[in-house]
Amino acid sequence: MTDPVWMSATGIAAAVSSGEIKAADVAEATLSRIAAIDGSVNAFTDITTARARAEAAAVDAKIAAGKPAGPLAGVPFAVKNLFDVAGLPTRAGSKINRERAPATRDAVLIERLTAAGAVLVGGLNMGEYAYDFTGENAHDGACCNPHDLARMTGGSSSGSGAATAAGMAPISLGSDTNGSLRVPASLCGVFSLKPTYGRLPRSRTFGFVDSLDHLGPFARSVADLAIAYDVMQGHDAGDHACTDRPAEPTDLDASTGPLRIGLPGGWFAKQCGPEALAAIQATSSALSAEGADLKPLALDEAEYGRAAAYLITNSESAAFHLERLRTRAADYDPDTRDRFLAGTLLPAAWVARAQRVRAWWLARAMDAFAEVDAFLIPATPFPAPLRGQKELKLGGRTVPLRPNLGILSQPISCIGLPVVTVPVFQPGEMPIGVQVVTPPWKENLALQIARKLETAGIATAHPPSGIPA
Amino acid sequence: MKTEAYMEAAADLVGVEIHPDWRPGVATFLGLAADMAALLDQVELDDGELVQAPVYTPPETGDD
Repeated sequence: MTDPVWMSATGIAAAVSSGEIKAADVAEATLSRIAAIDGSVNAFTDITTARARAEAAAVDAKIAAGKPAGPLAGVPFAVKNLFDVAGLPTRAGSKINRERAPATRDAVLIERLTAAGAVLVGGLNMGEYAYDFTGENAHDGACCNPHDLARMTGGSSSGSGAATAAGMAPISLGSDTNGSLRVPASLCGVFSLKPTYGRLPRSRTFGFVDSLDHLGPFARSVADLAIAYDVMQGHDAGDHACTDRPAEPTDLDASTGPLRIGLPGGWFAKQCGPEALAAIQATSSALSAEGADLKPLALDEAEYGRAAAYLITNSESAAFHLERLRTRAADYDPDTRDRFLAGTLLPAAWVARAQRVRAWWLARAMDAFAEVDAFLIPATPFPAPLRGQKELKLGGRTVPLRPNLGILSQPISCIGLPVVTVPVFQPGEMPIGVQVVTPPWKENLALQIARKLETAGIATAHPPSGIPA
Repeated sequence: MKTEAYMEAAADLVGVEIHPDWRPGVATFLGLAADMAALLDQVELDDGELVQAPVYTPPETGDD
């Protein structure tokens, strides 16, 4: 049998449910894997060993009693440390928050995964307070890319991307305000789903920017992404932005009909390095070979949408942190502190206009969806930069890396569109992700397109070469 | 110079202290925000295009 740490979530659940393997053995293999390699990767900030063993034993007991153990029976998972985990302080990547009392109850999404039989193995490293695209953290150390430990994982869900890529959790959870599910998926070579804004409840997580925050899963296959998403769907009153739409279970095998795929050029293309353009070429060609109609688009309004996202993020997050910034600014990570402090000082007129431009940009994107069913856009301008790198070359200009690594993801989350990020590996190169972007509430279509790319062999996760298999 | 003068005055008004070592970084990010705001000024918005995001919905009381 395949080493459990490289099995898919669906494969683990099937094997555990049929009695072929015990959930306890999967948990032990996963805990051993974490113990063996996380000293190099630094994805975990907390390892919930006792809890994982107890949850796995409970799954095995259900199966021994002939009871169903859930669609994720025995599947290990881990969460970005801004999710409440009962018994742990919710540190959200910060020094300040680890002084908080331990959470008394899990986040809703953790409760839903464990109710489906999944087994929590730990909390994951992240950029401080989620204000990060790099995966570096002054308090917990940088999370390292499993494909090349000298390179960034991307952030802010750095540990999530790294843990899933490195065989330490077939499913992990992260958050995405401007790209934090998509940038780490791109740099670490795994899949992620950022659902429509409001789809998954954020109850009992530590927020960053309320009007932009999303939660979602990482996985190494589309089927795993879909099953994790399915068990997490549904309204929860603890999140005021959560939709009361009924859950819409995914159906990866349903017919998509003839697809019209938009390929934004213009401003988007100007931000892309050669690897990003090659990834779009590979994915669009694969869909074309399956009969999709490819349509070049301008979509240059995204530049303004991105500027709106920047200002809303900077202002709203700084207002949320204002009291901490007044009293404990020295305890912030220097790489986030200066940006938070600047955000406390923005003129209100800039932010009010940003809200109007955001609505205007959403209307322009919806106009584009009258012509196409989905967009393909690189998730990052380049594959993983070296850790410690401070600048990027974008569109012929040298710009600060930290606010710009997410320049291609930021315009999309700003208007809440669902995105599946798929990993593309070119021979001899680090992976890079492509965003499959669909209209609001059409997560299933994004997953179906991702599945087509996976089946065609264009978008697949690979075991990393930077650490032992 | 304009950005630094604004930073100093606004920080005093808002009640945040910006340590001298942090000022270059904060000024850089304020400058970046100003660039973003200038970009937004290029968008021609109709007076009918109102803010859609921060909409307040009063809760149901069940007493109606």
